[in-house]
Amino acid sequence: MNRKTVIGALAVFALVVAACTSGGTATTAAPGTTASPETTAAPATTSAETTAAPATTAASGENPLADFDEDPTAADPALVEKALGPVEPSDEASWNIVLASIARANQDLDQATIDKAMECWANQECDTGSGGDLVMGYADGGGNEVNVWRSVSHMEAILQALTYPEIGTIVSTAANFDQDPAVHVNQLRFLIQRGVDFIVGYPDVGALLAEAVREATAAGILYVPFSAGYVGLPDQEGAAIPGEDYLTVVGEDLCALGESFAEVLNTGVGSGNVALLGGTPGNALSLGWQRCTVSALSSDLSLVNPPANEDSTTGDTSWFPPIIPDVFRGLLTTNPDISGYAYEYADGIWYGLPVYEELGIPVTNLTLALRTDEQNLFCDWAERADPTYNIFYSAGGNFQSRTGVTAAMMALKGADIPPEVVVPHVMRQVTADDCNPDRPNEAVSGTSLVPDNVLSLMFGG
Amino acid sequence: MATAPSRAITAFVVASRYMPVYLAIALLVIVAAFWVPALLGGVALSAIAPYGALLAITALGQMLVIITGGIDLSVPGTLTLAAAIMVGIGGQSDENIPVAILAAIGAAALIGLVNGILIGGLKLNALIVTLAVGQVVIGVVNRYGRSFPVQAQVPAGWSQWTSTRILGVSPVFWLGLVITILLMVGFRYTTVGRRFQVVGANPVASHVVGVRVNINQISAYMVAAILYATAGVALAGLLRSPGVAAGATYLLGPIAAVVIGGASLTGGLASPLSTFAAAFFLTGLNQMMRTIGLPTALQFVVFGLVIIGGMLVSGDRIIKGVERVLRERRRSDRSESKILA
Repeated sequence: MNRKTVIGALAVFALVVAACTSGGTATTAAPGTTASPETTAAPATTSAETTAAPATTAASGENPLADFDEDPTAADPALVEKALGPVEPSDEASWNIVLASIARANQDLDQATIDKAMECWANQECDTGSGGDLVMGYADGGGNEVNVWRSVSHMEAILQALTYPEIGTIVSTAANFDQDPAVHVNQLRFLIQRGVDFIVGYPDVGALLAEAVREATAAGILYVPFSAGYVGLPDQEGAAIPGEDYLTVVGEDLCALGESFAEVLNTGVGSGNVALLGGTPGNALSLGWQRCTVSALSSDLSLVNPPANEDSTTGDTSWFPPIIPDVFRGLLTTNPDISGYAYEYADGIWYGLPVYEELGIPVTNLTLALRTDEQNLFCDWAERADPTYNIFYSAGGNFQSRTGVTAAMMALKGADIPPEVVVPHVMRQVTADDCNPDRPNEAVSGTSLVPDNVLSLMFGG
Repeated sequence: MATAPSRAITAFVVASRYMPVYLAIALLVIVAAFWVPALLGGVALSAIAPYGALLAITALGQMLVIITGGIDLSVPGTLTLAAAIMVGIGGQSDENIPVAILAAIGAAALIGLVNGILIGGLKLNALIVTLAVGQVVIGVVNRYGRSFPVQAQVPAGWSQWTSTRILGVSPVFWLGLVITILLMVGFRYTTVGRRFQVVGANPVASHVVGVRVNINQISAYMVAAILYATAGVALAGLLRSPGVAAGATYLLGPIAAVVIGGASLTGGLASPLSTFAAAFFLTGLNQMMRTIGLPTALQFVVFGLVIIGGMLVSGDRIIKGVERVLRERRRSDRSESKILA
């Protein structure tokens, strides 16, 4: 009888998880689609050169952020190009913050800084040695041990924090993609109780984190999610509102990104079946771009997995490798002729490709519209050398955690931060040059601003 | 004259507890035939076969524990550790595959031994002990995961082996089938197997007649952990880069398969074949839900409801129902006899 009670409790738990997970999805329209300029290029089917020359300088000639100890004019154009590609600037306020953050991305670090960065990366708490009074919190729904992208983003934030002598302590938490939202919430509350001054992070459970985010703000703690990690899209039920409930959100204009994906599929596929893939069910990032991709798809394309409604995501992979093949199998079993995918996670496609072999479907006549740029997929693509298989990507976006740190530090010094720090994007076609087998880890994004010698230490084993 | 019908009734009663899973599979096939016939194609079935087998292997381990009246919640940790060892010790070198497999199995046996001693020896609560041990193992995996590059891959030879085909199906499926057959034969034709079930059905009586019940329980947890590790090693090959959370989805599934497979949750009775079938039913159900594009939230709900359904028609409830019917029939027969007399 006791056993039965336990099993019954576990079954009920499954239902509760379902309810909580779906709770992240809610109401209507697109996310903050502020004044984002036309940054997307027509998806060229030939080369990576797509839009205008890269805009790598501050919007104005003088340093507009001198009062806040930042200097967007000092951003290295080569690093801007590396991180973002040949983009057009976003709105002036956003662009200056983006450039200011890249200006601090020193690629020639001394050994003491590298050692300190590694110490902070590997431990929950570290003393930066600067003697500064500020405490930075880093709250990740993933974590160093479960995902390369998350671990690199964490390191970007740490390296950025080490450029501020005011920051004396860094405290990091990782929820390791736990399916229980309470784990994510509790970690944010831990940081609040720890007395951090600001928190940078990625809220994987979206709106379910809203209450804890509001508690942070009420306690005077600035919260800055990056990678378009809205705490629920602003129009979602229960969502926290950037600029009101928390300082700001750093990331691409999600609707523009979704339209860019659609444009790639419209041009690259022409006519046929396409599918959308996403992350955790109902997460704001996937929901934000999927909504606009769906509405911008050409009528010649047939979406094999339309979302149940405009508040639901589709193709939920949870960005979790063990689940990804199941999702591909579900799609390909009834639609072996899928000719294109839109997805924010290149590495996830790499996990799904073996399903093609399982089902005896050739990887050909395929167009991928992706956000991130993990090397393993690009090298796999290069190895296949099929001219009808093309990949377009935007940028890995790891460096956005740096922008989060800079935005928070500027706010602490009295700067007005826009509720959305828009990071511009442009779609680029993958070429053989995008596969660098000498990278320290096959799954590292080519657009990361963490120096290679640091990456080698992180992933050297 | 009276023994033949009695035997038939007994056989029916025993068999009836395992019927729901086969009825469920039949229902699933019918629904799939109408809704998503592509799911019943040879290629699609061969694609899900290794994943069904992985669930079956872990469920068989869980079944061994449940036969002893216990439960094991350390499955995700043990499975993940085995997969991580394939990456860590495997070192992306085919030469290291045998050592990695042995290390994974050895580590799992140790975990099972700890579980078994705490539960069978010290008589601690199985639920709490295995949950705690599972947490410790996950902590160890997270620490161990730092000793090799995150998202590093298993040796190429291992992932290639798991994706080869034997008679059109992954060797992981055949591995699951062989383990199932071995357990069936062991339970039916060996003294150890029969004693194992008897001890599970009535540990007190077994103790009285001199059977070492605690050794039986410790063995169950050890063999179960070895089976989890076997699944973890195979899963690592299928995923290529399993990470340090590969087993996270294997907490509820194996328990559900054992329940739907008709095992007695009070210990004693269980069928490896029915458990194997239940694992494939759940895998097929999951696949069907994904194929028809059911939203993820609804997939969770359906999966939970199926487990509740499995509980409602569980082997124990069926047996009680059949016994009640037979008892009342016997009573009415006796009453009729008295009236006639």
